[in-house]
Amino acid sequence: MSALELAQWIQSTGWASYLRMSAYVYPSILSSHLTGIALFAGAVLATDLRLLGVVMRNQPVSEVIDQLRWPKRIGFLIVATCGFLLASSKAEEYYYNTFFRIKLTLLVLVAVHALAFRGSVYNNAAALDQARRMPGKAKLAAALSLLLWTSIACVGRGIGYIEPPLDKLHAALTSLRATAEPR
Amino acid sequence: MLIAFENPLNESALAFPILECFHILGFAMTLGTIALVDFRLLGFGLRQNAGDLAKALAPWTLFGLIMVLVSGPLLFSSDPDMYYLNFSFQVKMLLLLLALVFHYTIRRKLLRGELSPGLSKPVACISLLLWSSIIFAGIFIAFVVTPET
Repeated sequence: MSALELAQWIQSTGWASYLRMSAYVYPSILSSHLTGIALFAGAVLATDLRLLGVVMRNQPVSEVIDQLRWPKRIGFLIVATCGFLLASSKAEEYYYNTFFRIKLTLLVLVAVHALAFRGSVYNNAAALDQARRMPGKAKLAAALSLLLWTSIACVGRGIGYIEPPLDKLHAALTSLRATAEPR
Repeated sequence: MLIAFENPLNESALAFPILECFHILGFAMTLGTIALVDFRLLGFGLRQNAGDLAKALAPWTLFGLIMVLVSGPLLFSSDPDMYYLNFSFQVKMLLLLLALVFHYTIRRKLLRGELSPGLSKPVACISLLLWSSIIFAGIFIAFVVTPET
């Protein structure tokens, strides 16, 4: 099964079709996606700004990282669940969407970022507490994290601006195209 | 009213989406930092003193708010009639007003220790509910039917 066939299959499932054609469920999930982004962003921003030494300097880095671990995970779970539902409702269309592809690539980079800095920064916070100055690697991790998430938010907004390639879409699905996408 | 000039915003296809990105990043910063304090009041997440935490994050909340309050009116200016008549937009403005007033009066008092600590949890819940409902109302602007202008 190719990626395109997978996208067509996901989009043809009952719940994906229901979402695509619903008047209020789709925008409600989109709103939850954005609310989740804000909650997640707060935890990411606080962690990164603490690593950069900008906020909460009187709090040990290790405590800030530890205490925000679960808020981040839960926030991400909300964003990812809603994001998956939104994407699945228009999977075939998004398969061709350049911004969607860039967004997925950036999310892979988020995983790379996590793997690259987990050992030296996020799971090594006790050592950061002892350091007289914040190591450059920790600051780099924070800066890259802010850059990545900011780009993902902007690219995500871009997805809605690309017109679906109607000539390429599966004939049966074309007529069912999303009722309304902002702009 | 007849407007004799074209809004320069509408001359560029990129202006609107770029402003939207600022709008999204701004509200993420605002709601995100507010939520960290509200979650603290609810006993979740950061554990430092809620008043100190609020003080540490306040500039970032304000920075986000400025981003939102600059980009918002510019977005509005691209099609004022539509927004003005849009039911969801009207609700959003009302909620925004309520949230701002609540944030800078009751919630601020609570965080300064001027209200009974028993009110912490209700205040945190109202704050979270108000700010997130603004996002919902904002998204629904594009999904409700606007009367013909």
